Amino acid sequence: MENVEIDRKEVLRYLGHRNQAVGERLERLVCECMEELKGIAAPKYICRTFGITDRDRSVSLENGLFELPGQAILKHLSASGSCVLMAATLGSEVDKKIRYYEKADLTKALVLDACATALIEAVCDRICEDIEKEDLAEGEHLTSRFSPGYGDLPIGIQKRFLEVLDAGRRIGLTASSTNILLPRKSVTAVMGIAAENCGRKSGCAACGKTRECAYKKMED
Amino acid sequence: MELRERLKNGFIIFDGAMGTMLQDTGLKAGELPEVLNIRNRDVIIDIHKKYLDAGATVVTTNTFGANELKLKNSGVTVEEAVDAAVANAREAIGAGDGHVALDIGPIGELLKPMGTLSFENAYDIFRRQVVQGVKSGADLILIETMTDLYESKAAILAAKENSDLPVFFTMSFEESGRTFTGCSAEAMVITARGLGVDALGVNCSLGPIEMKPLIDRILELSDVPVMVQPNAGIPVVVNGKTEYRVTPEEFAECMRGFAEKGARVLGGCCGTTDRHIRLLAETLGTMEARTLEKKMGSSVCTPTKVVKIDEVRIIGERINPTGKKLFKEALKKGDLDYIMREAIAQVEAGADILDVNVGLPEIDEEEMMVKVIEELQSIIDVPLQIDSNNPGVIEKALRIYNGKAIVNSVNGEDEILDRVLPLIKKYGAAVVGLTLDSKGIPATAEGRCEIAGKIVKKAESYGIDRSDVYIDCLTLTAAAQQKEVRETLKALEMVKEKLGVKTVLGVSNVSFGLPNRGLLNRTFLTAALTAGLDLPIINPLDKGMLDVINAFKVLWFQDENCEKYVEIYKNTEGEALKKSGPGVHGLAEIIEKGLKEEALGATVKLLENSEPLEVINGYIIPALDLVGDKYEKGDIFLPQLIQSAETVRNAFTAIKEKIAATSSEEVNKGRIVLATVKGDVHDIGKNIVKVLLESYGFEVIDLGKDVPKEAILGAVLEKDVRLVGLSALMTTTVCNMEETIAHLKEHCPGCRVMVGGAVLNESYAESIGADFYGRDAKESVNIANEFFELN
Repeated sequence: MENVEIDRKEVLRYLGHRNQAVGERLERLVCECMEELKGIAAPKYICRTFGITDRDRSVSLENGLFELPGQAILKHLSASGSCVLMAATLGSEVDKKIRYYEKADLTKALVLDACATALIEAVCDRICEDIEKEDLAEGEHLTSRFSPGYGDLPIGIQKRFLEVLDAGRRIGLTASSTNILLPRKSVTAVMGIAAENCGRKSGCAACGKTRECAYKKMED
Repeated sequence: MELRERLKNGFIIFDGAMGTMLQDTGLKAGELPEVLNIRNRDVIIDIHKKYLDAGATVVTTNTFGANELKLKNSGVTVEEAVDAAVANAREAIGAGDGHVALDIGPIGELLKPMGTLSFENAYDIFRRQVVQGVKSGADLILIETMTDLYESKAAILAAKENSDLPVFFTMSFEESGRTFTGCSAEAMVITARGLGVDALGVNCSLGPIEMKPLIDRILELSDVPVMVQPNAGIPVVVNGKTEYRVTPEEFAECMRGFAEKGARVLGGCCGTTDRHIRLLAETLGTMEARTLEKKMGSSVCTPTKVVKIDEVRIIGERINPTGKKLFKEALKKGDLDYIMREAIAQVEAGADILDVNVGLPEIDEEEMMVKVIEELQSIIDVPLQIDSNNPGVIEKALRIYNGKAIVNSVNGEDEILDRVLPLIKKYGAAVVGLTLDSKGIPATAEGRCEIAGKIVKKAESYGIDRSDVYIDCLTLTAAAQQKEVRETLKALEMVKEKLGVKTVLGVSNVSFGLPNRGLLNRTFLTAALTAGLDLPIINPLDKGMLDVINAFKVLWFQDENCEKYVEIYKNTEGEALKKSGPGVHGLAEIIEKGLKEEALGATVKLLENSEPLEVINGYIIPALDLVGDKYEKGDIFLPQLIQSAETVRNAFTAIKEKIAATSSEEVNKGRIVLATVKGDVHDIGKNIVKVLLESYGFEVIDLGKDVPKEAILGAVLEKDVRLVGLSALMTTTVCNMEETIAHLKEHCPGCRVMVGGAVLNESYAESIGADFYGRDAKESVNIANEFFELN
């Protein structure tokens, strides 16, 4: 996973930027953090494709090995016969650096945190592109990423999700007892494999919670 | 102890993968293999038998994940799973020759500070496995595939404190040579050796080829038998199936190489089968085992940083309340941030190790020491020196320390040596020995050297290597004992020559009571370094002292090619020019623009002619109000607001110092407790609120993240607090917020609660019983202002 670029505009969006003047000082800090992050982020991921074997009240993978409950995921995967489970992380060094700056230089912690959020999203985008390019058959596409906690897909499946991928051992990704992914800059998501291209737009469009979300993209 | 004998004389052959063999029999991804010990025991016994038949002398129980967290919803208890697994292995061995290793893998949740699991909690989880393993009759304990050194320490302690069985220990590394959590092979060897494991090494993640450089490094360093259990190569996913491609022949050939270099315990991990182990056993059968003789040398470490005492290393002395009013205040208030800033400044200035002394009569030293060490090791990676003369404090600190620490100190008194040295041995630390005893400090170098010799001898009698004893020949004050100052230097030389140990010395005492202390300190430091001082304890922020050390390292060929020296001093002229330039901005402008570096100087200057309160009300508050207005109007955004708040905090540092120096009245607009609720580790939002509240003159008691409701109530009652701010970022932790609010309202009805966090909104906040909802950090200041004006 090399050469994934951090989008500066995304960093600013996570920092709550609308259209204020950024200023030379902050601009420099953003660049500095983007650079520093390159040195400490160690993106890793793991993916596995599962057949969808039942869709009664939940999406069932491989004859009940793993259940994805809720209406939202049913709808999301309605056009897919199989799906990809993905887990990705930037690793624990990023958390550690952010923790450090929270004590040493809070503004920098804030900016570095935003850079890391932007980077893990970019990493996920890259993973999906690579899957489409390398693993899917002609004419097949991935749906957008749908994560535990989106809509009515319970976040409580997080641990099981990681177990199914053996993510702890393979990429060092775990979930706390309250289902927080650790290291923190990590993503788990399901993408359907569908025959038609339903467009892999931003996660915001797929989420039912945008009304109360401070970070939703402005165009949504 | 037949196994320990065997470790001394020959090879021990472990089995290969359990998971891979199980998958071949149809285990599905994500199914719990531990349950099969009971539900499908024949399959397990059969796998053990295959490995024994192939030549393994140790079989590993199918208990990798048999801990209470992973088995939670399985319908099987830890005790049942472990007991069945040991029985299965025993049955496979039958009347044959073989040992049963109780397998213990990682818990699967991260420990603090990365996660929410406490060290003692992790210890208890492992203890349950160990206790049952012993009861069921395991022959040894295998702690494996660890990636976190802290979790490893909890597991090793649990094994050693609850059994007499040999402990074999491996961690899993990436090709970078570090584990997922950043632990290096060197840090693993130093720490695990110190904790007294019987064998240590590497397993999983990598194949035997990729492991080679790592094993070389470990064999170079370790005098503890080395263990190697590689995967059969790096996994490749083909058509959704994981494949391992190293053949038994390639595997055995690589393993032969490890054995030739000195590895003693060999086996396989993921992807290896009985075929790999059969060839391995055949290969080792034709070989002689080699004994490792290398010694470790003197070093201390954290998981991510090893400090070898093979050149002058600086111990920072500033985490110590002696003679520091603000530091004492911080300790009494439990203001850990103050202490963290002291730590960060020292590390940035070049400290290699930090001394930690939090002894103050009014506070619970044990509790504070633990808190400070936990906080320090969550943000910085330099090793720590635990500075206390209370054995209880020392033990607590050593237990929760992540890596190998130094203890400061013991002296020549038997009673102290006999109390502290066993702790040094048990936790694998290094120790500072002061050359004094009940009769005081000997006047002569010979007298001090004699005590040093006694300390070293006693340490060795407890099994502590002399490379882990650092002798302090004690600096005397020139103003009082001028004649004896040289004795310290003589003793230093003598101790180095006669005992061959490392030396440590607090330097600045020498100048006490005399003018131009810096000059005397630098001169004495130079003399001490020349006499062979390894570990000066100094204030790293004293540039003159650092200059001496940097120059010394060039002249004594410790800084090869003068690299570090050039790096530090190449811009000396430019720097001087920059620093001497006068500040051009007024304090108000500095705050508005967030020019953090200029705030302190500008404030100090203002305070020359103004009272603290005048500076606050005349400059700081108006500037902050302006910035706050701009933020609320959307003219600036969050990082800019925080930059200004941090700038104000720097200004307040000067103000607090002035207040402490003149004993004038403290500035305090109100006291607020802040915490991120139980289960939540997202701290940054709360920290933003904190810095903003502080910049407006509120006193914030920051309880950190993942805080239980009882602790929040405790702080509220103890410090008589009426406003609490709670933060939660996840829907799953808002329920803990609700419980906390209910708990506070029940036991402290007068207390008000403001809440914030990404998943909250006004009505949600109301529904969980909060009194105020802070949409953003600035809003929380408005709430606090209004609250304390009205109340």
